[in-house]
Amino acid sequence: MEPMAGSSVDLAVPGATLSCGACGAGLAVTGVRSVSCPYCASPNVVERPPDAGRPRPELVVAFSGDAGVARRQLERWLGSRTWFADARIRRARVEDLRGVYVPAYLYSAVAHTEYTASIGEQYTEVETRETTDADGRKRTETRTVTRTEYRPLSGRHVGYVTDVLVNASAGLGDPELAAIEPFEYLHLRRYAPALVAGWIAEEFARDPDVCRQACRAAAVDEVGLRLRRFMPGDGHSDLAWRTAVSWESVAPVLVPVWVLAVRYRDDRRPLRVVINGQTGAIAGKVPLAWWKVALVVLVAAGVAAAIAWLWHGGTP
Amino acid sequence: MTSACTRCRTVLEDGDLRCAICALPVPTVDARSDGPPRALILRCGECGAAIGFCPEARAPRCGFCGAVLSIEQPADPVEAARLRVPFAVDRAGAEAALRGWLGARGWLAPRALAGDAVLESLTPLAWAAWLVNAEARVAWTADSDAGAQRSAWAPHAGEASLAFRDIVVPASRGLREVEARLLIPYYDLTRVVPVDRDVEGEPVASGATPGTMPGAMPGAMPGAMIERFDAQRSAARRHVQERIEALARVRIESRIAGRRHRHVRVACLLERQTTERIALPAWILAYRYRGHPYRAIVHGQRAEVVFGRAPIDWGKVGWLVAFAAAAALAAVALWLALR
Repeated sequence: MEPMAGSSVDLAVPGATLSCGACGAGLAVTGVRSVSCPYCASPNVVERPPDAGRPRPELVVAFSGDAGVARRQLERWLGSRTWFADARIRRARVEDLRGVYVPAYLYSAVAHTEYTASIGEQYTEVETRETTDADGRKRTETRTVTRTEYRPLSGRHVGYVTDVLVNASAGLGDPELAAIEPFEYLHLRRYAPALVAGWIAEEFARDPDVCRQACRAAAVDEVGLRLRRFMPGDGHSDLAWRTAVSWESVAPVLVPVWVLAVRYRDDRRPLRVVINGQTGAIAGKVPLAWWKVALVVLVAAGVAAAIAWLWHGGTP
Repeated sequence: MTSACTRCRTVLEDGDLRCAICALPVPTVDARSDGPPRALILRCGECGAAIGFCPEARAPRCGFCGAVLSIEQPADPVEAARLRVPFAVDRAGAEAALRGWLGARGWLAPRALAGDAVLESLTPLAWAAWLVNAEARVAWTADSDAGAQRSAWAPHAGEASLAFRDIVVPASRGLREVEARLLIPYYDLTRVVPVDRDVEGEPVASGATPGTMPGAMPGAMPGAMIERFDAQRSAARRHVQERIEALARVRIESRIAGRRHRHVRVACLLERQTTERIALPAWILAYRYRGHPYRAIVHGQRAEVVFGRAPIDWGKVGWLVAFAAAAALAAVALWLALR
């Protein structure tokens, strides 16, 4: 079945809020004349009034480069897939690539951490031992061995945890967004409707308070990475830490993502490729065509059987 | 009007979307509106045309070729130095310093270098830097010989509050970072003046060719150039953080118990940072020796600080290698003879 991205909803108004009936993504569109869901290629999008309770974006990471650049990247990526990849994604039309401003939260905080660890300090010792050679003569051998002495250490670590991005999209999964991170936040802009005019901007599907927990977990992981580099000695073990975050900030931000969604069966999840609209990082999970795998296995088994038959002189 | 970040009390500047130190977003109501107006233009992705933008009145299409338009806005306002350190070395002093430096290049340099080098240009440059003041809570760890047992080292950890005053962080494209670092320790920052103020007795950089440095613009010093800030403020955070961490590491070393230490690591929580843009004087000299171009830099306040690239007499290097090889062969022959 061919992709159904050609189906779309015509908009009568320059700015509208839509809801995808298939994946549930809320989409705000301005200056876009026809819309199918960019995440799942479903034409089942219905117009609805804007939800006043949704967070409003404060910051925007703008698209850099135009659709032509993204399409060339996508063509290269699709061309580099293996023969085993499902041909429906290889035959996907790059014209179906859509630019979407994906909602997320940009988290920062002050992190105060108390840690304990065992610090390994190496030292050398000269070992002497007696050995017996092949002739039965006893010899004394000395060798220098490196040993590690573990000493306890406890202390505090301080720092700002910044630029932790947590997904707030209903259409794009967390692993998909994580796969095309990081974004470059030096070029953040304050949100203005003019910045997203002509693009599809998804509404925030997750509440900031819900995302805050995920942000804190990411911050604690970040502190753990820093602590491992912070430890002295020649090595360490048993590193444990307790982090208290304060002065938390959760800023709603829109990040640019090119999405290619190919829907080939209504009862299946769409095949999807995503591209970082700023850095060009590309990610996608292309399913294998199992009939091709089975065909290769059968051919290989047949060749093996033929070789075995010939090996045994052509007799069964 | 100045306002400060509520989290780390760093002074916010016009155009800041987030605090340069702790990344706390600046609320819209606090967004500075008293600075110079910022341009917002639409740039055509196809033909490059830029036109004014009115969201209500214009369609997102280029009026010239019909291609989709994209919004372009500089991430930061253009920065310029507000302070400067005056020149104390004049043109003749810089040239004499170069001749002296060329004459002291050692045995491997060509013997006629000082006499035969042809000075091609001598440009006074006020190069761009940030002048940073900040306070920091510093957590540190290190290995020291204090409390050592079997190993010669024992782990230590601690905390300290440090103040950093007049830290110079290079923002120059004209100078490489390593060159800037060699110049910085010799500047007398007590002589800082506003960039447009004349200083009595300051040498005039006569004979300089304006516009020879890319990105430079005429400044207050007669004939001298003041470099623009090519590295923007939003990129400054990493430079400042790295510089302050390097300084904190040095200062913490004196607080670590014991006589020897290693693996000194610091984590800094910067607070109350203020940043000033400053122009620092240097003479950039280009000279040619036997057809090949070389560059040297003379400090703008202390003529004895000179560094750069100088030619090497490869004939002497060849003789030196041949002599070393002959000496090695002789040593091997002697060792074999005595075995």
